[in-house]
Amino acid sequence: MRIQTKRSTSIAKRDPATVMRLSRLGSFHQSRLSFMRILTRRMTDENWTFSRPVFEFDDKGVGYAVYCAHTPDRTYSLVAFGHDLPAEQRSDRVIAEAWDSTFTLFDGVPDAADIQRLRQNIPLQEAGRVTEKELSVSRANRSVRLWNHVVSALAAGVQPDRQEVEKVGYLMRTTAVYGSGKLGAADHEMIADRPECAAPFQIEMLSVFLTRTYVRDLVQHVADLRGGEASVKLDPTIGRSLGIGNSTGLGMAPFLINHPMLFNNWIAAREQAIAIVRSLPDAAPTAVQTFRELLTRSLISADVWHSEHPIQIEKLRELRSDLSKLADHIALADLQTAHPWDRLYQWAESTLGEDAQECLASLLLEPYGALVDPLADQMSDRNTQAFRIDGTMRVGELHTILENAYDWALDIDWSQQQQCARAWYVSAEKLEPRLGERFEEPVEPYEQPLAPGRDAAALFDDLKVEDKDATLAAFLLAHPQHRHSVRRAQIVGQAPYAEIRDNTIGSDLMPIDMLRCKLSFFGATHFDPRSDRWVRICMFGNAPYPEELATSDEFWPYSAMARP
Amino acid sequence: MMYSLNEIEAHARKAARGGGYDWGVAEEAGKAVRWLVSHGLNGAAALATHLSVMAHDGPPQALDGVWTSATGALCPLTAGVTLNDCADRLNAMHEQAMRDVTQPLLVVPFAAWAALHIKAPLTVVWDSVRATTNGYDLHIQGSEDDLNTPQTSALQCVIAQGDHALVAPALRGAFSTEVWDKLNTFAQRTYAPATEASRLLGAGAGVTDND
Repeated sequence: MRIQTKRSTSIAKRDPATVMRLSRLGSFHQSRLSFMRILTRRMTDENWTFSRPVFEFDDKGVGYAVYCAHTPDRTYSLVAFGHDLPAEQRSDRVIAEAWDSTFTLFDGVPDAADIQRLRQNIPLQEAGRVTEKELSVSRANRSVRLWNHVVSALAAGVQPDRQEVEKVGYLMRTTAVYGSGKLGAADHEMIADRPECAAPFQIEMLSVFLTRTYVRDLVQHVADLRGGEASVKLDPTIGRSLGIGNSTGLGMAPFLINHPMLFNNWIAAREQAIAIVRSLPDAAPTAVQTFRELLTRSLISADVWHSEHPIQIEKLRELRSDLSKLADHIALADLQTAHPWDRLYQWAESTLGEDAQECLASLLLEPYGALVDPLADQMSDRNTQAFRIDGTMRVGELHTILENAYDWALDIDWSQQQQCARAWYVSAEKLEPRLGERFEEPVEPYEQPLAPGRDAAALFDDLKVEDKDATLAAFLLAHPQHRHSVRRAQIVGQAPYAEIRDNTIGSDLMPIDMLRCKLSFFGATHFDPRSDRWVRICMFGNAPYPEELATSDEFWPYSAMARP
Repeated sequence: MMYSLNEIEAHARKAARGGGYDWGVAEEAGKAVRWLVSHGLNGAAALATHLSVMAHDGPPQALDGVWTSATGALCPLTAGVTLNDCADRLNAMHEQAMRDVTQPLLVVPFAAWAALHIKAPLTVVWDSVRATTNGYDLHIQGSEDDLNTPQTSALQCVIAQGDHALVAPALRGAFSTEVWDKLNTFAQRTYAPATEASRLLGAGAGVTDND
């Protein structure tokens, strides 16, 4: 009852017009509601157990392994194949055709016939075919530099150099994790009613979690075979710091636009959590202590976050400076009374940049698991009817939705070349999503519908002359080209965080903003853009390994390790 | 060949777009084929055939009265989306009749979505076929030939009468690789031919992705 009373003076969720700008979405940080943390919480709470029934590799890492995760109700198995990949074939691009390791997450425990079938298909990735027994398909490449360093060191009986490890952060990086029906795998609908699959991307996160264990085991195995008696075991502290890298390209950016209801649910859950914490009238000393400690760890984390990309270097400089200001501020501020978290957030809003504001917003949730964590159940999209257009809606009502949700787009002069300089398209070459220059390349005929602002503005123009009391049915019959935008507008009318409220085809678009937003919900840290349209990240860095889940705390994404 | 429903939907959406439909209509064509295939019906083949021969199909000329096309045959996709849009017109007193509809099977999913709107089951009637749906589940009666007919002279969508043993959809779909390939010839039209410049720039390479 006390919580009910506390929530009665409630702070509203932040305005979508503020939250849904690309620069802010591109400044998001992981939080308690990130999908990796939802998974590790569940694994810990439910005492999942793990086994490794098969592990057979030669000294080049060629072979296969099976890792099983046993939930209270069922078993999922990561089947991993190791390959000897010639250096010239190693590429993170979608257009690659071979990888260091390939994986599938199998629903249950695979038998010999399954393994035989998977061995013929999984190494081929997109060129192979899987069945409803498979829940994901993925692959990973080594960081050759760090892999060789770690193998050589361990084989020679010494620990790898901490600075070398820290510079890269992972021994392998995944270059695609396909789930939800891709390549013939099970659709999400087949498993959606399982509690462990209720939150988004839990299968994909489990696959990566088990992949990290496989990589740790494989590097040790190869080092042991090379070094024989001389080799040593990897220092668990170093092992713990290693995550799985991930290279993410343009394919993720369209995902956010193509799944507006799902995207809304992610953002709305986090915004709801922020609003709940900001609404608290006071804070217990233990909550304040947790917050202070995690802010200190965030400062360390920002310090060990490397990038060579000029924009990210500048963002990091500002983030570090802002987090220092925040630390100075809270050293003196009252964090216990008079809506402390709301006051702190408002101070940050007027003092700090967006990156630090979002870091703070995520940090505010940390002491309040009991209030925040249940929101994870609202992050999936179970509304299977949302795609359905309501043709009985009046023109006037759609007009109002457009004025409210797309006002930013109605203010843009879309006839100016710089406002529509880019066009999203899919290449015939392995169906790689790409971003082209509309006025320089012949890509416009292939443009994907990924410019909601431009298209909403065109819809708004054509609606102006319509009778406000008429239904949309007649309008859509005469203007089928607006069907896509009418659908989006009706969704955003009921789901205010469904739409990125920014230009997604302008000359100054930075697709990495969209990638970072999505990856922050995965729980990624240390975003390292390699260009304006692909980014490397680390997943599960500092996370517990399966055997450490029971003894590890839930704040693992916050680095505990100071710079060596 | 078995396909996941997401694969089927995405493939049909791209094929409809490649076949000349606007994205919004193509999105619903994808959903429609997914819906049909999940009920074990030849939705993918119907779309493939429709895209191959649809040159003279047209949309309804007006919302009122019996729907006809100015060009001869009525397009099942544009008639279908319009049927969904006009869901509120369907009641015990008013059915929606259509003339000369090609691939009438493709209309059924749109009637399903109209049924969701009015929260009452609808029956789509043509030739010997009566397809009744509450939006999710389906009961079919009629001959296989009529179900898959390339064209019907008259189709009606009416409020369902009586009880029907509705069958829930499956979570996988099956159809021949020939149908998949036929749809693929249309889907391919949505992909830009690769050039060396787009290979280098379009996905943002330019720094090494090896380390």
